[in-house]
Amino acid sequence: MKKTVVLFIIGALVLITTGFWIFSGSSQVETAELVSLVVIVLVVAFALFVGYKRLTSVKKGEPAEDEMSKKIMQKTSSLSYYISLYLWLAIMYFSDKSNFETHTIIGAGILGMAVIFAVCWLVYNFRGVRNE
Amino acid sequence: MNNRIREFRARYNLTQEDLAKKVNVRRETIVFLEKNKYNPSLKLAYDIARVFESRIEEIFIFD
Repeated sequence: MKKTVVLFIIGALVLITTGFWIFSGSSQVETAELVSLVVIVLVVAFALFVGYKRLTSVKKGEPAEDEMSKKIMQKTSSLSYYISLYLWLAIMYFSDKSNFETHTIIGAGILGMAVIFAVCWLVYNFRGVRNE
Repeated sequence: MNNRIREFRARYNLTQEDLAKKVNVRRETIVFLEKNKYNPSLKLAYDIARVFESRIEEIFIFD
């Protein structure tokens, strides 16, 4: 239950911080900022969806986490870490060829990692974990 | 690995939710088990077998 509450708090904090970042800068929102905003909202929506699933499980009298959800998280973490290494490799390669600012590149990398994690989680949730 | 959880559940007139509560997992886990998308731990297999008053190998079939 504590984990779920923390998940909701982090989601809210991320949204508030993003709001400050987007609306405290220039009055006109650039396309790159808009794309970042959409990705952040999607990632937060994913986190809230996971939190909601946990809450509904608890309400039904089931555990918030069980051996399968833990296994899915474990597999998701290992796969997304592995893929993220390649993402950073690609970012390193393309950062030499582009003139983006360092913080923009790091931000894109972090967002990319979050997206990779969400996609891996979805893949394991649809495909299942068979240990074969 | 295949299993006969759906068959045993019908025999014992249990819903997926009932079984999930009895073995302390989420209903989703029972759904995944029945679709053969997840292989349970030995403890979960044992708990399920105990609910159905059967041996593990009667419910879970190792290919």
